[in-house]
Amino acid sequence: MVDVSQHELVPDHTVVDDEEIEDVLEEYDIKKTDLPKLQRLDPAAPDEASVGDVVRVTRDSRTTDQAVVYRLVVD
Amino acid sequence: MSSQQTPKTIGSLNFGLMDPEEYREMSATKVITADTYDDDGFPIDMGLMDPRLGVIDPGLECKTCGKHSGSCNGHFGHIELAAPVIHVGFNKLIRRLLRGTCRNCSRLVLDEHERDEFRDRLTRTRELQEDLNDVTKAAIRQARKKDTCPFCGEVQYDIQHEKPTTYYEVQQVLSSEFSQRIVAAMEGDEEEEDSQPVSPQELSDKTGIAASRVQEIISGEFRPREEDRKAIEKVLDVDLTEEDMNKLMPSDIRDWFEDIPDEDIEVLGMVAERSRPEWMILTVLPVPPVTARPSITLDNGQRSEDDLTHKLVDIIRINQRFMENREAGAPQLIIEDLWELLQYHVTTFMDNEISGTPPARHRSGRPLKTLSQRLKGKEGRFRGSLSGKRVNFSARTVISPDPTLSLNEVGVPDRVASEMTQTMNVNERNLEEAQRYVANGPEAHPGANYVKRPDGRRLKVTEKNCEELSEKVEPGWEVSRHLIDGDIIIFNRQPSLHRMSIMAHEVVVMPYKTFRLNTVVCPPYNADFDGDEMNMHALQNEEARAEARVLMRVQEQILSPRFGENIIGAIQDHISGTYLLTHENPHFNETQALDLLRATRIDELPEPSGTEDGTPYWTGRDLFSELLPDDMNLAFTSEAGDDVVIEDGQLLEGTIDDSAVGGFGGEIVDTTAKMYSKTRARILINEVASLAMRSIMHFGFSIGIDDESIPEAAEEHIQEAIDNAYERVQELIETYDRGELESLPGRTVDETLEMKIMQTLGKARDSAGDIAEDHFADDNPAVVMAESGARGSLLNLTQMAGCVGQQAVRGERINRGYEDRTLSHFKQDDLSADAHGFVEASYRSGLDPKEFFFHAMGGREGLVDTAVRTSKSGYLQRRLINALSELETQYDGTVRDTSDTIVQFEFGEDGTSPVRVSSDEENSVDVEGIADRVLDEEFQSAEQKQEFLGERAEPTNLSEHADDWWMAEGDD
Ligand SMILES: [Mg+2]
Ligand SMILES: [Zn+2]
Ligand SMILES: [Zn+2]
Repeated sequence: MVDVSQHELVPDHTVVDDEEIEDVLEEYDIKKTDLPKLQRLDPAAPDEASVGDVVRVTRDSRTTDQAVVYRLVVD
Repeated sequence: MSSQQTPKTIGSLNFGLMDPEEYREMSATKVITADTYDDDGFPIDMGLMDPRLGVIDPGLECKTCGKHSGSCNGHFGHIELAAPVIHVGFNKLIRRLLRGTCRNCSRLVLDEHERDEFRDRLTRTRELQEDLNDVTKAAIRQARKKDTCPFCGEVQYDIQHEKPTTYYEVQQVLSSEFSQRIVAAMEGDEEEEDSQPVSPQELSDKTGIAASRVQEIISGEFRPREEDRKAIEKVLDVDLTEEDMNKLMPSDIRDWFEDIPDEDIEVLGMVAERSRPEWMILTVLPVPPVTARPSITLDNGQRSEDDLTHKLVDIIRINQRFMENREAGAPQLIIEDLWELLQYHVTTFMDNEISGTPPARHRSGRPLKTLSQRLKGKEGRFRGSLSGKRVNFSARTVISPDPTLSLNEVGVPDRVASEMTQTMNVNERNLEEAQRYVANGPEAHPGANYVKRPDGRRLKVTEKNCEELSEKVEPGWEVSRHLIDGDIIIFNRQPSLHRMSIMAHEVVVMPYKTFRLNTVVCPPYNADFDGDEMNMHALQNEEARAEARVLMRVQEQILSPRFGENIIGAIQDHISGTYLLTHENPHFNETQALDLLRATRIDELPEPSGTEDGTPYWTGRDLFSELLPDDMNLAFTSEAGDDVVIEDGQLLEGTIDDSAVGGFGGEIVDTTAKMYSKTRARILINEVASLAMRSIMHFGFSIGIDDESIPEAAEEHIQEAIDNAYERVQELIETYDRGELESLPGRTVDETLEMKIMQTLGKARDSAGDIAEDHFADDNPAVVMAESGARGSLLNLTQMAGCVGQQAVRGERINRGYEDRTLSHFKQDDLSADAHGFVEASYRSGLDPKEFFFHAMGGREGLVDTAVRTSKSGYLQRRLINALSELETQYDGTVRDTSDTIVQFEFGEDGTSPVRVSSDEENSVDVEGIADRVLDEEFQSAEQKQEFLGERAEPTNLSEHADDWWMAEGDD
C-alpha cells in the first residue's frame, strides 16, 4: 500500500497544542469553527488527529518560502 | 430633499413562519367579495380593490394611512379561508413532520437518547455553518424506522405524499378477498409436493379458532380480527392484507401538528416561538396590497387586472361556494371536491409552475404569473430587479477605431455627450463657466440640461429659457452640464470576463455616432470593429470619479493580474511597422525622420546617425530610441530571433517586434510599466503606435494574391514531394493488406496504419511548406507579419502557397459519410490519402470539390467547438463568480467570506499581487539591481535625491491635459 502522506508533494501536517491554537485564534480574532476544515479521514491528516483538533499545514512556497495554514479537523 | 428620511440601520432579520393571528392583525381589511369595482368605477368595500389596501390612482387618498399614491406603500388585507389548506411551499417539511411524529400523541418518535444526539449534531453543524438539512433529514430517517411510538405505544403507519399537496396514511387492512385467499391456500399448491391440503378442522386446531368460526370465515360471512388473521396467515403462509390509503385532510394535519410539543420540533431545527408547524396549514390568506398588483387602464378605457388579482378572485369565489354548500348541508363528496378546488387555487396563487398540476390560465390561454413566478429566474425579482438594475447616465453604441486618440481616451459622440451630464456645484470661481453652459442650452454641445436651485427645485434648461436662466445662476446652484473633454467615464464591453473588461477613459467629444477607441485597448476588451457595441457610464459623484481615475483608468490596467505582464501593447500593424523600422535599420533623411516622429512629442531630431554623400541621415533604431526612457537598459531576444540590446535608452541592436512592444509581455512595455511608471508606459505605447503607423505608411504595406505565388519549378517540386508521400502511403496500405504491418506498442494494426499515414502526410505538407518558404523574400508581407509576430504564422503561409494538408474531424482523418467510404466518389474501404480528406491543393491554387467538402467538414468542427466552448465556459464563469463573489481580503491580510470564516490566512498564500511579482523564475525580481539603482540615485546629490525619493509619489490622477506639466516635472 502506498502511504500518500509520505509523498513529496504532501506538505507537513502537524497537530498543534492548545496554547498555539489560542494564539492563532487570538491573532485572527476568530472562533475555532472559522478555521478552514480538514476531514479526519483525509489521507494527509496525521493519524493522531481527532475531531476538534487543529492541524498546522506547512507548505513550501516559491514566493514566501513557507506558507502556514491551520485547519480544524472535522468528520 | 424634504421627501428623504434619515437612513435607518437594520437590527436583525428573522426568517420563520407567520402566525395566522399576525396575518389578521396586520390586515387593513377582511376581503369578502370577489368583485373589484362597481358600475361607476369605484372600488367596492371589502372587495379586492378596497381603498384601505392602498391607492394606485393619483389624486385618491389611502383610507388606511391617508397618504397619496406614490407615498403609500399599500397595506395587506386578508381572506378567512372556509377550510384549512396546505401551503405548497412547505409540502416537503409537512411530509417530514408527518413521517417523524406520532399519529396519536404527535410527539417526535425518538427517545431521549436519540434526541440528545441530534440536538448535539445540530449545534455542531450550526457552528460549522454546514447544511442543517442533512441532520434533520437523518433525524426523520431515524424516526421512520420506529414501528411504534416510544411514548404512547401507538403503531405508526407509512405516510405517502402525492405531489403537490395530498398526503395518505398507508395501513395494512384485511383484504376484501380474504375468504378466496384462505380457500386457495387450504387447497395447497398442486405443483409443490410438500404442500398438503389443509382441512378446516386442521386449521381450527392449529390456530385455536373455533371450528364454526373457521367455517364462517371461509364462507366470507365473518371478518377475522387482527390476531386471528395473523394466526391464519402464519399457518397457511398467506398474505390476507391489502394497502388501505387513508387520505389526511388539511384539517387533520393541522390538528396533528398543533399537538407537537415545542421541544420536539426544536430537535428538527425549528424554533417553535417563530415557527409553529401548524402555521404551515393556512387558515387565513393574506391579500397583497393593491400596489403589488396594480390594475392597468387600457386605451379603450377598460380596466385590466393583474394576474394576482385574477387568482384572488378565484380563491374568494370558491371560498364562498364552499361556505354556502357546507351551510346548506351538501353531501361530503361535493364538499371534498370544493375543498380540493380551493387547495388548487391557493396552490397556484403561490406557484403556478408545479409539475403534475395544470397551471392556472388566463382567458387567452397564457399561464398566470403568480407569486413564485415573480421571483424566480433570470427576469425574476432577484436576478432581474435586484442584482441587475437598469441604470441612468449610460450609453451604448457601435465602436470604431481612432489611432489619434490616446489609449486612455475614448471618443464620445456629441449627441451622447449632450445626454450624459455631470453635476457642477456652482461657486464664485466657476460661476461664469457654469453660466456659459446654461446659456448654451440643452442642444448646443457644451451646454446644460438641468439646474437645481439651493431650495431643491430642479429646472429643465430649454432652448427658450436658457439665456434667462443663465443669468439667474448663482453660487450654491447645481448645474447639470454636458460631458466635455477630459471628463472621466467608465467603458465596458460584454462579456465582462476579467477586470480589464471595465476600464475608465477620458472623454473626447467627437462628431458622428460611434464610440472611438485606440486600437491598443482592443485586446483587454476583446473588441474588434465588425459591429461590436460598447457601454459607457458617466460617473455621478466626486468619489466615484476619483476612484475611477486612480484605479480604473486604462493606464493603470496595463499589467494584467492574470499573468503579471503587460496586456496592453502594440498590435498588428504597429508590430509590422516597428519591424520594418528597425529590422534592417534603414536610413532616413531629415524630412522623412521628422515625418516619422511627427505624431509623437519629439519635435527636435537627435544628432544625425551619420552622413551619406554629404547629407545627414537618421537610422530607424535611432529614431525608435527617441521614444525610450533615457536611462533604460535592457537585453532580450526578439520574436525574429536576434538579440535586442538597449543601453542608456538607445536601441543599439536588434529588431523591435511583438516580444519587444507587443501586448502579453512585450519586454520594453513591461519593463517601462514596472520600472518607470504607468504614465511613462502609456506614453510609450501611444508613441510606439504612432511611430509605427507612420513607418508602415512610409514603407507601404499590402498583401495580395501574388505575394503567395511561387515559381513553376517550385510548384513542380512540391507536387513531387506530395506524390512521394502518396506512394509511401500506398506502400503502407499494401503492407497492411498483406497483413505484414507491425503494430506500435499499445495500438492495434488499424490504429498504427492511421498514425503512419497521418505522419507521412503531415511530413509531406511540411516539406511543401519548406519548399514554398524558400521562395519568399524577407520583405514578403506575409513573412514580415509572421516573423514579427504581428499576425499569422508560417503555417498560414504554407497553406496559402504550398499545400493545405490533412483535414481532421475529432483528431482523426475523415472517416464518416457513407458505408465504408467518405463519399460515393470513392471505392469502399479505400484507405488512400485523398479518400480521407487530404487536401493537396493550396488556398492560392484553389481546392477541388471533394477537397472543398472535406475542408468544410474540418472547418465546421472548429465552429461548433467554439460555440460549445463559449456557452460552457460562460456558465462555468457564472458559477465560479457566484461562489467566489463574497470572498474579500481583509485588512489583516486574510481572505474571508461574509461569515468571517477564513479561506486563506494570507492572500494567495503569499500576500502579493500578481502584477507586483516576477512573472516567472527566470525573470525573478532583480533585488540587487533595484538596490543599486536606488543607491546610485542617492549618491549623485545626496540629500536632495533622498528627499525626492521619499516624497515623490507617482501621480495617478492626472488628466492627459496635464501631460506637459508631468513631462517637465520628470525631465525624462
Ligand atoms: Mg466583433
Ligand atoms: Zn396607505
Ligand atoms: Zn405517540
